[in-house]
Amino acid sequence: MRVTLETKPRKKPNIPIEAESIIPHNFLRGTDLSVYEGNKQRSLDEIFFITVEGPAVSPDQVEVILKGDTGRIKRVGEYMNAGKIVVEGDIGMHCGNFMSAGQITVRGNADAWLGREMRGGEIVCHGNAGHYCGAGYRGEKRGMRGGRLEVLGNAGDFLAEYLCGGEVIIHGDTGDLPGVEMRGGKLVIEGSCTRPCGNMSGGTCLVFGQVHDLLPTFEKRERTQVDFRGMNVTMDTYHGDVANRGKGSLLVRSGDHA
Amino acid sequence: MSELLIKNACVIDPLNGINGDVMDIAIRDGRIVEDVGSSAEVIDADRCLTLPGGIDSHTHVCGTKVNFGRYMSPEDMRAGRTSRNGSMHVTSGYSVPTTFGNSYRYSTMGYTTLLEGAMAPLEARHTHEEFTATPHQDMMANTLFDGNWSVMEAVREKDVKRAAAVVAWILSAAKGFAIKLTNPGGTEAWGWGEDVSSIHDTVPYFEVTPAEIIETMIRANELLRLPHSVHLHCNNLGVPGNYRTTLDTMNLVPDLNSRRQSLYLTHLQFHSYGGTTWRDIDSRSEEIIRVVNASPHIVIDMGQIMFGRTTTMTADGPMEFKLYMLHHNKWSNHDVELETGSGIIPVYYSKKSVVNCVMWAIGLELALQAKNPWQCLLTTDNPNGAPFVKYPEIIALLMSKRYRDQECALLDPRTEKRVPLMAIDRELDWNEIAIMTRAGQSRALGIESLGKGHLAPGAEADVAIYPIRTTEIDPSAQFQQVMAGFSRTMYTIKRGRVVARNGEVIVEGANSTIWVKPRVSHEYDLGNDPEFAKKFQQYYTVRMRNYPVQETYLPRGVCIETEADL
Repeated sequence: MRVTLETKPRKKPNIPIEAESIIPHNFLRGTDLSVYEGNKQRSLDEIFFITVEGPAVSPDQVEVILKGDTGRIKRVGEYMNAGKIVVEGDIGMHCGNFMSAGQITVRGNADAWLGREMRGGEIVCHGNAGHYCGAGYRGEKRGMRGGRLEVLGNAGDFLAEYLCGGEVIIHGDTGDLPGVEMRGGKLVIEGSCTRPCGNMSGGTCLVFGQVHDLLPTFEKRERTQVDFRGMNVTMDTYHGDVANRGKGSLLVRSGDHA
Repeated sequence: MSELLIKNACVIDPLNGINGDVMDIAIRDGRIVEDVGSSAEVIDADRCLTLPGGIDSHTHVCGTKVNFGRYMSPEDMRAGRTSRNGSMHVTSGYSVPTTFGNSYRYSTMGYTTLLEGAMAPLEARHTHEEFTATPHQDMMANTLFDGNWSVMEAVREKDVKRAAAVVAWILSAAKGFAIKLTNPGGTEAWGWGEDVSSIHDTVPYFEVTPAEIIETMIRANELLRLPHSVHLHCNNLGVPGNYRTTLDTMNLVPDLNSRRQSLYLTHLQFHSYGGTTWRDIDSRSEEIIRVVNASPHIVIDMGQIMFGRTTTMTADGPMEFKLYMLHHNKWSNHDVELETGSGIIPVYYSKKSVVNCVMWAIGLELALQAKNPWQCLLTTDNPNGAPFVKYPEIIALLMSKRYRDQECALLDPRTEKRVPLMAIDRELDWNEIAIMTRAGQSRALGIESLGKGHLAPGAEADVAIYPIRTTEIDPSAQFQQVMAGFSRTMYTIKRGRVVARNGEVIVEGANSTIWVKPRVSHEYDLGNDPEFAKKFQQYYTVRMRNYPVQETYLPRGVCIETEADL
């Protein structure tokens, strides 16, 4: 089943929409769903032109396609457990919160908190991601716990904060403090970043671009060879964050960091 | 004139010796009266359990440290959200809810009076502001004197009258209710990076011991004729083997008051540990309770822990630091100038942890072994042991051996060898529960004469009607009904007005704050004392004239004036 949701023109397009109901599972029982526009509850067809093609008997046969002005729509795919969501343009904050399985593809940019505290499944963002991509929410001790999150562009600050499991791959650069408070899992940054992995206690972070302002609380170890897109790359290995008796590994491409 | 008549109420009112009589209660203008006219509004209690409004004699619901617990735990604030509903405010939070959240949840459980467990006098304004936003309960505040410089100087000079004068001035200034000592001496030692490990250790610089502070304050308390006794959180909280400190402390207490206890020991569960480390911790509730049973001038509260997530908060800064060293989670510590300190950390009590299981058992053992329920009151030291919404579960555990056995089967198997709980068969009855949740508190806090905690004509019309027919249910088998009944009242009546019905809060209340003002002679009025004023000039960040909380902060203050022997 393919469900296409195309946004209708809105008088006030800046008012955010809270759309945690948009997950494949919910469309098995039809399209009679509601979302909030600001503080007003709206039915799905007040916001979108809806077309449904084909049948489905289980949620993994459902594909939801979002088109149009989707940059203000929040919480799409929250608690998603199967199926597929494709966002043709940009997507608002909190896309893929707590998702446990399935696949989300964002062809444009994603706003903050993409895939926060996700537990499984896969998110691919073809544009840039905002701050706190793959992070834990305020006060939470554990962020992303499983699954795979890939961003083909850049990511903002606090990428993968409190990462506990799973894999985060950023093809571009990231902002400040990626992997801060990391506890497990794997973080790969192909571009540059500043101050990675502050207070990390576990897990592995690889940076193939430049690292600015590497924190002084990391202990240098021997060099290792890592395969990166078919090339053998020499990496400096760091152990830390020793300020808090951390046991994480930070690998940075040799000779490339100030 | 508003009149209300509660018909067919099955009343348990231990202070007046009523145990399960079916009777009518008449209320006029917020007070209980002999009878009312025929035009009075009528509530049919339908032979359900009717008790005086609940009183919590030790809870942390208002003030700076509670608020800091809220800042620190945004994840807690995302739990338990309720939306605005008529006059009801939005609420959120589980272990440290918003003030309205606290108030509404207490109200639906039938509680109408609360004692905030610890208020730093310097930060009293904040506490009083939050009191006015806790609309369904009358509030009181324990005022911290554990590390007060002026008090410790008076103790060093063995001048009880001077200590009493300091208490009198600060209590009136902070609009507090009673003297609270939290790890006396220890919080000040913590300012020097140290702690005290027994009641005979000395505090740096001041050269006084916790024992001297406690004893002086008990005597000062009686000189001032305060309604409540000294409210003590003993030294060495949460340390394996600390029961010795607790026993030493209890042996210090002189019997000075015929109407009530001379010392109130709070959350005693945290102070009844044997063993030497976390590995061999065991329960010493039997030793502790033997002394309590033999000392009618001591009242304790349980400080029961319940399994699950909560937040610990106390003025005991060093203890919170030790907890941080165990958990390595987020924590906070705070120093209050010349007075005290505080600390907060979130915790999770787990049935898989033998330490937590022993703690859980000790709380229940204290209540089950205390011969006199007037001496052991029901609390969780909310939210330190558990959020107060767990009270109904605790009541059910105390009333049902079968429920306890069912829960014990889920504990870490090593627990059984370390605690006597499994061998205790006692099941408390309805009257004992009524004593442990309202009547005992009223007497211990000395607010019986204000009309709290009983239902005789003249008393405040604070009434809780629970959907329980005591003659029809067997609490030892039907503990689920007991739990459900105590979680939601049919009616909670605050000062003659129905504030909650069937678990729903229906009106915005208007509470009052009870505070104490001891009247002392001119000679002992520290307002005129140059030595005391110098403290403010030299050390405090606040000037003496700006220090007292103005009465505008207590829009409905009720002042108890006492005639001090000074």
